[in-house]
Amino acid sequence: MERAASGITRKFVLLAIGRLPEELGRSWFDKCFRGLDRPLRMAFRRRPGISGLQGATAARAQYKTLGEDVAKVRTEQMTEQLATFKKSLEDFAQKYKNDIKKQPAFRAQFHEMCAKCGVDPLASNKGFWAELLGIGDFYYELGVQIVEACLATRPHNGGLIDLQDLRALVAKKRRTAKEPVTEDDCIRAIGKLKALGSGFEIFTVGSRRLVRSVPTELNRDHNEILEMAQGKGFVTAAEVQAQKGWPPGRVEDALETLLREGLAMIDDGDPDGQRRFWFPCSSGDGNLSIEGQLGEGPIR
Amino acid sequence: MAPKPAFELPYFYNYRPYFTLQPVRDTREKQIQLWKELILSFCKHYGMYIVDVDDFPLFANKSIERKLTNEARELFLNALVMEGRAEWLGKDHRKCLLLWRRIEDWADLIISWVQENALENGVVTLDEMRTGDEARGTDLENLEMIILERAVRLLEARGKAQMFKGSSADDTGVKFFI
Repeated sequence: MERAASGITRKFVLLAIGRLPEELGRSWFDKCFRGLDRPLRMAFRRRPGISGLQGATAARAQYKTLGEDVAKVRTEQMTEQLATFKKSLEDFAQKYKNDIKKQPAFRAQFHEMCAKCGVDPLASNKGFWAELLGIGDFYYELGVQIVEACLATRPHNGGLIDLQDLRALVAKKRRTAKEPVTEDDCIRAIGKLKALGSGFEIFTVGSRRLVRSVPTELNRDHNEILEMAQGKGFVTAAEVQAQKGWPPGRVEDALETLLREGLAMIDDGDPDGQRRFWFPCSSGDGNLSIEGQLGEGPIR
Repeated sequence: MAPKPAFELPYFYNYRPYFTLQPVRDTREKQIQLWKELILSFCKHYGMYIVDVDDFPLFANKSIERKLTNEARELFLNALVMEGRAEWLGKDHRKCLLLWRRIEDWADLIISWVQENALENGVVTLDEMRTGDEARGTDLENLEMIILERAVRLLEARGKAQMFKGSSADDTGVKFFI
């Protein structure tokens, strides 16, 4: 059939559709109505035929090639961008090396920036950070000092220490080193210690942050008692019972555990006769006490 | 002699629970260790040789209203005795002799004191050794007689001294061969 005939035949064909036998199939239609308008032809293409399938496969292959090309370009671009980024970051780090080392605030901001970019300057001691900045060394050294401080005070506090006290202690140890240390630095260094699986952990009790260097599992009750002791440095069983409304057995159990773990000490010397449970990690005069602890040498 | 600077009390002395014997073993061991060191350094600082269990200034801290129980006092002193740094005087354990310098160290000190004062082959009384002019300003000044006697006896055993009994303990003379 010719294109010219399409207009005349349209009506006829439309009428015929209803009566066309199913078994004739679509290829037959295609042959018959090749010259028809596109919308009309489409009307017959209800199901895919061989040529349709072939077309789709070809199209898919083309899409794939195109996609691959795009991806390739993208990767190239990304690689390039990454290189530029790394270069700028290196330049930045190089330029502000001293500031990063000496100024805690600057250091914290630098870390924040790195975190936003998904870069961890402490991830490896062998990366370009270590070579450029020695920033890895800074934290590894700090980590070692933190471990030392925790071990030295462990007999006194049972392995639980206030982050502030710890910072003060480490800062005192590093007196010779020029770079000041902030709590933020300590937190980062402790974060890295986790890799050793040694059970170093920071947790919050009330308004304070405590660093735990023993693998003791403290439950909620223990934490609440520690929180209660924050002001005075001690609690009595009666106080805990009154404030928390726990049955006596629960109070006793929690205090007993804290005592056994070396986190608490008893004091029976008060004139009111009530046994007090003191927590060296929240003794208030923490700084002073720990300085005394480390300053003291054995008697010869 | 210039007055000694005040003794610097350690941190734990103002932390109340250290005045109660701790029930947990590790904590108690630490507590005993700290008290042992404190007693020794305190006595050394003030040149004290005898601790009276019932009346020793360290055992009560007025500023925090805490004092050690008798049990704790005896325990801490006993720990020193076990280490050879102290000895009970009498079986009732009310007084304790403190050896913040071991007898052999006292003996060595005497030897150097003898040499400094050119007393080789000379004779001095025990009393002179701790109250005489030569003793003034040295660690031998007012040294507890029991300790002095023992140190000299140790030197005797080493063949470096010879004691001569006098009419009384104070009159006991010593001759040094160095």
